[in-house]
Amino acid sequence: MKFTRRGFLKLSGISAAVVASGLGFDLEATAAHGYALKLAGCTKIPSICHFCSGGCGLLLHIKDGKLVHLDGNPDNPINEGTLCPKAASLAQVAYSPERPKNPLYRAPGSDKFVDISWEEAYDRIAKKIKEVRDKTWTSTEEITNAKTGAKETVTVNRAEGIAMIGSAEVDNEESYLLTKLARLIGTPFHEHQARI
Amino acid sequence: MSPSFGRGAMTNSWQDMQNSECFLIAGSNCAECHPIAMKWVNRARAKGAKVIVVDPRFTRTASQADIFAQIRPGTDIAYLGAMINYYIENKLYNEFYVMNFTNALYKISKDFKFNDGLFSGFNPETRKYDYASWAYQLDAEGKPVKAASLDDPDCVFQKLKAHYSRYTFDVASKITGIPVAKIKLIADTFAAANPGNIFYALGMTQHTTGVQGIRCYAIIQLLLGNMGKAGGGIQALRGEPNVQGSTDMANLNANLPGYIPYPTNQEKTLNDFAMKKGSVQYKPLVALLKAWFGKNATAENEYGYQWLPKNNPSNMPTQTHFFGKMEEGQFKLLLNWGSNSTVSIPDRKMVARGLSKLEMLVVADIFNTETAQFWKEEGLNPAKIPTEVIFLPAAFVYEKAGSMTNSSRLIQWKEVALKPLNDVHPDLDMLDHIFKKVRTLYAGSNDPKDEPILKANWDYGPHEAEPLKVLQELGGYNDTTGKPIATIGEYLAAPVGTVSTGCWIYTGVTPEGKNLADRRGNADPTGLGLNKDYAFAWPGNIRVLYNRCSCDAQGQPVDSKRKLIWWDPVQNLWVGNDGPDVVDKTKGPDTPEGKTGFKQNPEGVGRLFAATYMSGAVATPTDSIAAVPIRGAGMTVDGPIPEFYEPIESPTSNILHPEVQNNPCAKIISTEFGKPDEYPYVLTSYGVVEHFCAGAITRNIPWLNEIAPEPYAEISKNLANKIGVKEGDEVEVSSARGKLVVRALVTDRIQTLKINGKDQETIGMPWSWGFASLSPGPSTNNVTMAALDPGAGTPEYKCCLVNIRRA
Repeated sequence: MKFTRRGFLKLSGISAAVVASGLGFDLEATAAHGYALKLAGCTKIPSICHFCSGGCGLLLHIKDGKLVHLDGNPDNPINEGTLCPKAASLAQVAYSPERPKNPLYRAPGSDKFVDISWEEAYDRIAKKIKEVRDKTWTSTEEITNAKTGAKETVTVNRAEGIAMIGSAEVDNEESYLLTKLARLIGTPFHEHQARI
Repeated sequence: MSPSFGRGAMTNSWQDMQNSECFLIAGSNCAECHPIAMKWVNRARAKGAKVIVVDPRFTRTASQADIFAQIRPGTDIAYLGAMINYYIENKLYNEFYVMNFTNALYKISKDFKFNDGLFSGFNPETRKYDYASWAYQLDAEGKPVKAASLDDPDCVFQKLKAHYSRYTFDVASKITGIPVAKIKLIADTFAAANPGNIFYALGMTQHTTGVQGIRCYAIIQLLLGNMGKAGGGIQALRGEPNVQGSTDMANLNANLPGYIPYPTNQEKTLNDFAMKKGSVQYKPLVALLKAWFGKNATAENEYGYQWLPKNNPSNMPTQTHFFGKMEEGQFKLLLNWGSNSTVSIPDRKMVARGLSKLEMLVVADIFNTETAQFWKEEGLNPAKIPTEVIFLPAAFVYEKAGSMTNSSRLIQWKEVALKPLNDVHPDLDMLDHIFKKVRTLYAGSNDPKDEPILKANWDYGPHEAEPLKVLQELGGYNDTTGKPIATIGEYLAAPVGTVSTGCWIYTGVTPEGKNLADRRGNADPTGLGLNKDYAFAWPGNIRVLYNRCSCDAQGQPVDSKRKLIWWDPVQNLWVGNDGPDVVDKTKGPDTPEGKTGFKQNPEGVGRLFAATYMSGAVATPTDSIAAVPIRGAGMTVDGPIPEFYEPIESPTSNILHPEVQNNPCAKIISTEFGKPDEYPYVLTSYGVVEHFCAGAITRNIPWLNEIAPEPYAEISKNLANKIGVKEGDEVEVSSARGKLVVRALVTDRIQTLKINGKDQETIGMPWSWGFASLSPGPSTNNVTMAALDPGAGTPEYKCCLVNIRRA
């Protein structure tokens, strides 16, 4: 039987009726025992929720390298083990068939993505960065000095043709390297969703 | 918040909410969008705290409130102004606090004026203000002149009093639709409770008057003496898992990490930058350049200052402007990380137009988003879209090690819990590989333009980048000791040019051999929820910002139940349960430093009036930079004190000043606008607990799709009767910019309001849907409007005019 959430709800309704009619076993105790068996032998690894900025602690129960169960981390003082519905559903991201398996490429004018290797993806991106950077480079520009009113030529070192939309969805270390990469290749045009 | 207090961050923490006596939650539906807040609010409620919710809809948060007021979207400043007026007129403010910790006594320039909706200094051609008249009266040394009492007609307090005298409860009620008695009840309830806490989120910021709405909160909390106290403060409930961190890391066009102002073409040399911004910004910039260029950053080459790209102030597009710059042809390549603009940008048809003009779009994300597949949207012809698209599948949060900074500045570390699925990689590896490839392509170049790439310090491991090495770069190194920086105090004491750090406000997170973001000590000996040994909060592990203001003139806590810090006269030191947020821990409460409550502001006090001001001696340029002891004040570009303006699309006229209907400085991007005769209803967009932002993750989670499968339009029973629609019927919602068809949700949660004497309907719509994913749905941003707050650049998602009819 396919064990869906909706199915479970139906099932528990029926079982409650069965228990009420005095036919047998205590469903609650059985459920608790099943839960314990499921988690037996798991390594518990803390992590952090990936939705709002609460920073609630997650606890991942891992067995043989597989995620068996995910719930709130009772030792995290922010959430003390509680989770909202979004956070509680995060186990469903781990093995989602919707997640692309490898880099994808869509050619100009094409109506589909095709699989490419990481090596090819990085190659194409790096070459395009260089091409656009070289083509749109502005090393100096003429400005009017705000204090003196004089025209002067100043060094600005900008790659005008490259824009970056960074991210509040990645770790600090990644967010920092986004900024560092953008500025090193010469683009001050770096924004992200904090703005909106 | 930064123009008021000196820092832009949420002031207290989630756990600290249990210490509050009253909450004003306005512009946040935290029960759905930040459920963790509600956990701690409920803990305070159990102890008797009151909850006030002001919202256009009776939300799940409102269902927990003692007082609920339904407000017309975009009119908050009207009732908040009335609260300020009421507190001043009835002397409900905290006089000790106002006199000691705010600029209430500071005398304002006689040139400052406010007439008919405009402050002095407005230039109608540029739609910008010249700040010159928003100034203090200065003494011979350039310091602000203080009045002898709050009655001085020139002082800030009297300027506030005069300005808000127009904001009567009656005027506020006409504008907002909240009954007079209820506004008074809110004002009385909030003033009676001490400490009172204010929460806001995007409901407050997504307006063309967003910054000024938050400024009202700042003024109220300063008047009532609620800043810097356990259970007090202003909580900016930030929207994304690491939005505090990404803002700290400056994924924004006007900053470098740690809120260093981004150098522009007006600061030709590092010396120019130092003279203009002072040592307070110069020192962290040098430390950053040393982190980025290592040994190649020397005093002789301005630490590599010339290698940084310089902003051109006349071409500094924010995210919403980016798509126009693509359409115009400026941008050829967009590198897009974890952002789904095709769903999230207001008046979103401009996104596809822009992306279609790129040569290449790179998208890194967990799922294949609408943005990566923009060329597939119905109505577009892929054959005519020449953009190359590369999608990079990213590892999810628990598949990679690293840190995230939550809304209350808490930097939390996590290890890898699960090996990345399939052949996906952490973004860190992608960035590392891309940079190294680019560097290889430029190897051997002698072109000066390629120096920043070839001279950069970029070594995070030979194969896969190690996140701890990056965090250590943020935490910084001291050249003098040759070791990682141990504390922020060590960074502050070190001479310029002897420390390196990628983000100076994170200094102290990685002392030698340690990673304080990974601390797990969750003890709470004070019962105040400070949890000082759990992870690490910037700056310097302070949990409640501005906590000096929790003490009296002798440096002792004013609230014996909620002691944060105090002056210990035996040790001659500021000590406490929290890290003291003081200028110098050894300077007592009888010294100028020891009296300072808001040390990041040049005046050292909270700013009721956001005056233009630079503290310290004005520096004269020299060739060798010594300390430049100046500090500039943060400014609000559209006025030193908040004024009410109608939303850009409004169903009524501005009764305070009909000639100046909207924020005169608002930045308008959309080109199509509707009038109330054709589009008579106000639309407000929002999130639901089951979906997150643009839905890229949650619309691919089956459990969540089952609970919340599709968007809808929430309307009052009156409106449903008027247009002949029942619950569940399909309706078409349209604005001047676009339309979409959804089902109607007919509800008591929205009531008809009385605005300026006329009935007014509000429509609510969640916005997290797009055309791709497991659970596609129409995007509410078809109809919203791209008009931005002039200071923050945040679009006015929360109100526009629409029509609705049976589909």
